[in-house]
Amino acid sequence: MAIRIVTDSVSDLPPSLAQANNITVIPCYVVIGSETYKDGVEISADRFYSRLPDLPRLPSTSQPTIADFQETYQRLLDQGHQVISVHVSAKLSGTLNSATQAKAALGDTSDIEIIDSQSASAPMGLAVLDAARIARESSEFQGAVRQTRLSMQKHHGFVMVDTLEFLQKGGRIGKAQAFLGGMLKVKPILTIRDGEVHPVERPRSTERAKNRLVELAQTLAPIRQVNISYSTDRVQALGIRAQLAELVPPENLVESRFGPVLGTYVGPNALGVAVTQGTEDMT
Amino acid sequence: MSTNERELTGAELRSAFRLAFDRLEESREVVNALNVFPVPDGDTGTNMSLTLRSGIERCPDSDDPPASDVARELAQGAFFGARGNSGVILSQFLKGFSDALRDRATCNAADLAQALDMARVAAYGAVGSPKEGTMLTVIRRAAEAALEVPDGAEAADLLATAFGASCVALKNTPEQLPVLKEAGVVDSGGLGVVIIVGGALEALSPSQYDTASSEAQLESIIDSSMASLGDSGQPQDQGFVHSSLEEAWGYCTEFIISGSGLSLEDVRRYCEEMGRSTVVVGDSANVRVHVHMQDPGQAISYGVSLGSVSSVKIENMDQQNVEWAAGHAAPAPSVGAPLTVVAVSAGRGLAQLFMESGCGHVIEGGQTMNPSVQQIMQGVEHAGAEETIFLPNNKNIVLTAQQVAANDPTVHVVPTRSVPQGVAAMLAYNPASTLEENLAAMESTLSEVTTIEITQAVRDTSVDGVAVRLGDFIALLDDNLVLTAESAERALQGAVGMAGVDPGSILTIYRGADVEESSSDAVAASLEDETPGLQVDQVYGGQPHYHYLASIE
Repeated sequence: MAIRIVTDSVSDLPPSLAQANNITVIPCYVVIGSETYKDGVEISADRFYSRLPDLPRLPSTSQPTIADFQETYQRLLDQGHQVISVHVSAKLSGTLNSATQAKAALGDTSDIEIIDSQSASAPMGLAVLDAARIARESSEFQGAVRQTRLSMQKHHGFVMVDTLEFLQKGGRIGKAQAFLGGMLKVKPILTIRDGEVHPVERPRSTERAKNRLVELAQTLAPIRQVNISYSTDRVQALGIRAQLAELVPPENLVESRFGPVLGTYVGPNALGVAVTQGTEDMT
Repeated sequence: MSTNERELTGAELRSAFRLAFDRLEESREVVNALNVFPVPDGDTGTNMSLTLRSGIERCPDSDDPPASDVARELAQGAFFGARGNSGVILSQFLKGFSDALRDRATCNAADLAQALDMARVAAYGAVGSPKEGTMLTVIRRAAEAALEVPDGAEAADLLATAFGASCVALKNTPEQLPVLKEAGVVDSGGLGVVIIVGGALEALSPSQYDTASSEAQLESIIDSSMASLGDSGQPQDQGFVHSSLEEAWGYCTEFIISGSGLSLEDVRRYCEEMGRSTVVVGDSANVRVHVHMQDPGQAISYGVSLGSVSSVKIENMDQQNVEWAAGHAAPAPSVGAPLTVVAVSAGRGLAQLFMESGCGHVIEGGQTMNPSVQQIMQGVEHAGAEETIFLPNNKNIVLTAQQVAANDPTVHVVPTRSVPQGVAAMLAYNPASTLEENLAAMESTLSEVTTIEITQAVRDTSVDGVAVRLGDFIALLDDNLVLTAESAERALQGAVGMAGVDPGSILTIYRGADVEESSSDAVAASLEDETPGLQVDQVYGGQPHYHYLASIE
């Protein structure tokens, strides 16, 4: 019997890391035309981004079903585990709601705790990894839950998008609305704060935006985890990775990819940096 | 202090300032013509005249007002009407002057000397780093001379002394400012001060004015400046560009007639008969025409009958007026917001760009029409946010904006001296951040932008060693005239070359109202070819008079 972490695919956690940390990732759905795909399972990021330019209508997304959650929770409970379930911000998705209802269907058992990460994608991925570490190191469920909840605010992410069009059309633009409209070419940098998308800066080129992503990450030092993310341009992501690599030990440097669900909102050529604030010994 | 000296009444003081204003208004174009840069600009004569007018209009009308009331209302009116750096300095001069007369029902020579001295202090205080050889020097010399007038003198004697000293100071300005010397002119704002002091003296004693101005050889000081400005010895740029004063009526029609033996008088008379807002300048070989016509074809046909016509530009003023009015009728998006930005810019494209980037309101203005303190205050009010960050976007509006901020703690000026600086600052604005964070972020962009402005010379001159002919395309690089060229595109290309760009630089080109998109495309493509890795962004600015604005960052 152990404490197990469940999350959803908006965390963009690389499958290998999820597996290594005993994290169950419940896929959200991406809807392209009349077809519905399980995020990252039935459609890969490569496939998604290659189809994106030719789609007559932008894809849409939907949360995992209550049944999806119930099935996973039931299986873990049956194995004798307790579950901390960390999910995408409720302000961005109804995923948390599905999870909550699944828990209710299981008699509101105290062996499942559902936590709103107030985040999405790369920083959420770090939050989930951190939760897994806490779960491993904890002897007692409620203590682990408390610590996990507290840790949520330590993860910060910044994403540069090529265009705000996808976020706007997908209805997730939030406060970054202010950066809409463009006679000038800009590469907006956004962040998630209090569960919502917020505008940060408007650099005039990708090169400058990359530099700013690195600087924004550095200003949060000391940091103990880094997650570099991209939608289509891995070379750019590797450039950022090289600049941040020295800040953390290699095992705490994650490279992830905006999956199809995230890609629906950030579009091609997006780059992200997420960090976890703190030091190894003050976790 | 002697007892037999005559006290000046409030009515006399008012008459003195009224005549000073009349004289300034009459000489407005002469003062404007002394503009060192041959560019369409917010002209000193116009700015000082409008500022003083706003003061005069506020003066009490009663038969026998106290001198203190006259001075106070004059200063108050001038404060609201202040536009351009010269207008702001003049308004502060009047503020100091009125402070000195605060409780005087009448005033004598000693009071006036005191008032001039306080006016001097206030005028210097208006400017961050006062420069000598400007109107400040002329004010200072007048005030110093006034203080030395012995007790018991009449007010007119004192003004005569101050006037004489101001003329000497004016004549000396080219020795203090090399840029004036090169252009062969005295300082325009300084001349404005001389005219004001002279007008006041003339009101008190016409004969003393005549004597003093002939002793000071004022006519010859002005004539020799004018002679440097053009063959005709006439003010050359009569403000092609006083858009703020232009009547929005019919079609604004501009063109240049080239030929021989052209008569400015005849062209001017024809245009005045046929249209409105007529400005005709030039010489016998080139005449530049600006007129508002109901039928622009008529004016151009007339031009063709005299010589060859070029640089034709026609704008529908009625249409512009309608659009402008529509834009201002709508409530600003920022009403009730905790924070917004208000910017000054000219041209529809630029206004749209600033609004899209998050401005709550754009005040129409810029190079050729400097908004007054009051217009800025109205703009801020229209925006309706709790705190306002203000972008003057022009070096001749910064001081006016700072006057507003000094009187309204909710207004915060980021001193952008050009539109490109303003755009960079605007892109650093983030409504989700605090006022302090925004001010810091926006100010930090100021040093990162190089500004290029391309326009056409409005007269012959020489600036910074560059000889300029009327009609030449000229490039200004961070306010310095760096070259002339036969086309706006060549001027732009040359200026970009002089500024220097690296791969990784971003060049933004704001196309003016007079430029075809294809011309802008061509120059952009050619600049991209020259510097691999240079990012060139083109935007339609729609600004008048400036064919291109550009920034390198």
